[in-house]
Amino acid sequence: MELQTTQNQTSTRIRSVNVREYIRNAGTLIGLIVIFIFFSTQSPVFLTEANLINILQQSAINACIALGMTLVIISGGIDLSVGPTAATAAVFTATLMFTGTPVLPAVAVGFLIGVACGLINGLLIAKAKLQPFIVTLGTLSLYRSIALIYTGGNPILSVPPDFRAFFNGRMGNLPVPVIIVGVVAVIAWILLRRTPLGEYMLAVGGNEEAARISGVPVALTKISAYVISGFLASLAALILVGRLGAAEPILGNLWELDAIAAAAIGGASLMGGKGSIIGTLLGAIILGAMRNGLTLMNVQAFYQLLATGLIIILAMLVDRLTRGSN
Amino acid sequence: MEQSPYLLELENIYKSFPGVQALNDVTMRVRRGTVHALVGENGAGKSTLLKILFGVYQPDKGTIRIDGQPIQINDPKSAYRAGIAMIHQELQQIPELDATQNIFLGQVFTRYGIFKDTRRMRQVARELLARLNVDTDVTIPVQQLSIAQRQLIEIARALLGNARIIAMDEPTSSLTPNEFEILCRVISELQANGVSIIYVSHRLNEVFRLADRVTILRDGEFVADTALTDVTEDDIVNMMVGRKMENHQHVSHVRSQTPVLRVRNLSWGEKVQNVTFDLHAGEILGIAGLVGAGRTELAHLIAGLHAPTGGSLELRGQVARFHSPRQAIRAGIGMLPEDRKRSGIIPLLPVLANSSLPVIRRYAPLGLINNRRRRRDIEPIVDQVNLRPRNVDRPIRDFSGGNQQKAILARWLNAKSEILIFDEPTRGIDVGAKQEIYHIIETLAQQGKAILMVSSELPEILRLSDRVLVMSGGRATATLEREQLSEEVIMRYAISRNVSL
Repeated sequence: MELQTTQNQTSTRIRSVNVREYIRNAGTLIGLIVIFIFFSTQSPVFLTEANLINILQQSAINACIALGMTLVIISGGIDLSVGPTAATAAVFTATLMFTGTPVLPAVAVGFLIGVACGLINGLLIAKAKLQPFIVTLGTLSLYRSIALIYTGGNPILSVPPDFRAFFNGRMGNLPVPVIIVGVVAVIAWILLRRTPLGEYMLAVGGNEEAARISGVPVALTKISAYVISGFLASLAALILVGRLGAAEPILGNLWELDAIAAAAIGGASLMGGKGSIIGTLLGAIILGAMRNGLTLMNVQAFYQLLATGLIIILAMLVDRLTRGSN
Repeated sequence: MEQSPYLLELENIYKSFPGVQALNDVTMRVRRGTVHALVGENGAGKSTLLKILFGVYQPDKGTIRIDGQPIQINDPKSAYRAGIAMIHQELQQIPELDATQNIFLGQVFTRYGIFKDTRRMRQVARELLARLNVDTDVTIPVQQLSIAQRQLIEIARALLGNARIIAMDEPTSSLTPNEFEILCRVISELQANGVSIIYVSHRLNEVFRLADRVTILRDGEFVADTALTDVTEDDIVNMMVGRKMENHQHVSHVRSQTPVLRVRNLSWGEKVQNVTFDLHAGEILGIAGLVGAGRTELAHLIAGLHAPTGGSLELRGQVARFHSPRQAIRAGIGMLPEDRKRSGIIPLLPVLANSSLPVIRRYAPLGLINNRRRRRDIEPIVDQVNLRPRNVDRPIRDFSGGNQQKAILARWLNAKSEILIFDEPTRGIDVGAKQEIYHIIETLAQQGKAILMVSSELPEILRLSDRVLVMSGGRATATLEREQLSEEVIMRYAISRNVSL
């Protein structure tokens, strides 16, 4: 649009990138507050400390996946394979622990599997130049089948008590998983906003061709995003195995959709080049609070699904309307 | 009833956007069967006025009349029904569809009201194109056609809707001189049929060639409506910019003894064949030629976007083989691409990030970006290129075309590139900013940068180049020294091997 003319005329339109992101995050926060106010009028339990911690706990796993998803989406891709990646990491780690491998090496193998899954996605997308949606749709089946074939479809039920104790423990008042995901979020924020890699992700997602001409290592940037996503999927898997004390090969079913929803509610654009770590965290908490609140109100699970769908669409509509005619 | 002499009247149009008065009491009257030019710098309000005419925006105040009758244009569809068509600068076509499908986009002839009547649609498409005196295959995807042919298909589409007013927004920005001649012929054909043309262009020589009258806008205000016989090109430029333009004179540069870049028999398939030249520090080497002559491809080879299929590059005496732009950047080469939106800017990122992208690691020695240091580097450079508004935190897409170009130039100045490749440096940039960019390019050459400039605008080539390499059909057909330069000579070499055109 050719609207910029003189300096003073444009001054009202000048808004730094950061300010825009703050405004968007403030919007997500308001959404969260509205949801909190609503449920606190519906259930006396909702706003209690125990329940709030509960919400964080319930949101932690989705937040963990969604943080990786946010980086992938920002760099212009999508990762549908996070759930099966998690399941594969979970069953291998659990099996190793069950057969007597010490916890730390077993956990390391779990992380390696997550990284490997992400690396395969990244190589197929960045080097073989296949479409992210299709590649990860393929690996969604592929990784799931590995978990199922390896376990014969059976859950691995015996997980060492100290492993379980760690993930069920608390530091101060907060559950360990919440703290882990909090630390991951801080690292992700620093990565996105303060490191060259983060800026490369924004650039590649924002305009891949321009990024390439500017000397951005495009393939490496994309691969990094998928590797991080795979790693965080395996982390989420370990948290879940620790909490449940079992690893099921069907674990993580539809995780990708919750993660994409959290990122989108938080302001990530599936076109790439745009997204916010804080927004994604808020998005994950919105989804968690909704489920928690509706459960407290004894609403049937079917309606919870309905509410989740509505929230996603509402968030996108508000986004559209507040962004104006562009 | 007395018929109004005007086919179209836009009267006292006001339009504001938050913080900007985009149009302030603008009036434009177009007579039947005339070509009426609309000129002004970027931001003068031309696009806004066209969008109002086309129903994309609603005016805050003002009247639109067709044949003297007031008319309300609520959306592009009602504009179309009122006989108003627009040929956009960026063609609104679906590249995978053929000419017929594009002409009939959004409407369809049917048999029995159900089946698409492709044969009849093709017949009509051929007739429409024949009216324009063009012979184009209407059954192949338009992406396989030249820009000029695609433009004529857009005009055919306008004729299908019985358009009486056709607005053309920068129609010639990617046309070769030959294609321009075809467009001229088509326009006079349309005129003869009573169609009025609104012709928006930065190229004043075309305006003089084609238009009967011109309306000049500046900063959203009406400046003048005059017959072109009453004014000179300089008059119009002065009215557009509101100040006396400095007289453009070529500034000669002192070039280095030994070349910075030696290009020997460089080839890339059919597109670039055996091109040889030297580039010295402190000179501006213009690359002229018609569209498709291989100029952009040559620029891309040097910038490392493609790997050459033959020949060699030598940088400061060292043979260089680039497999990626990254390697070329390290060797001190920076490119400002032809299509800024597609391959220049990262729209949502601020200028600060856009201008520091190639050397971002410089600001993160320990892994974290030191923004203060980055700002300290970028701010003096955006001052040097005179970025307006001078706000490096603003997303680059919110800047005008000229200022986006300055920000991309800042990218390479900050990377300390010694060789700068400008591909169409002022495409889509308004007159004022154009002069500014010329001035910056000249200053950079004086400071010892080696500059390669691909341009389709001969005045630009003549104004800036110390030497000119002319290309035709992928080959270098001449290297002309300053004294030899003239439009005629360049054109002669530009078409010299293009007999088949």
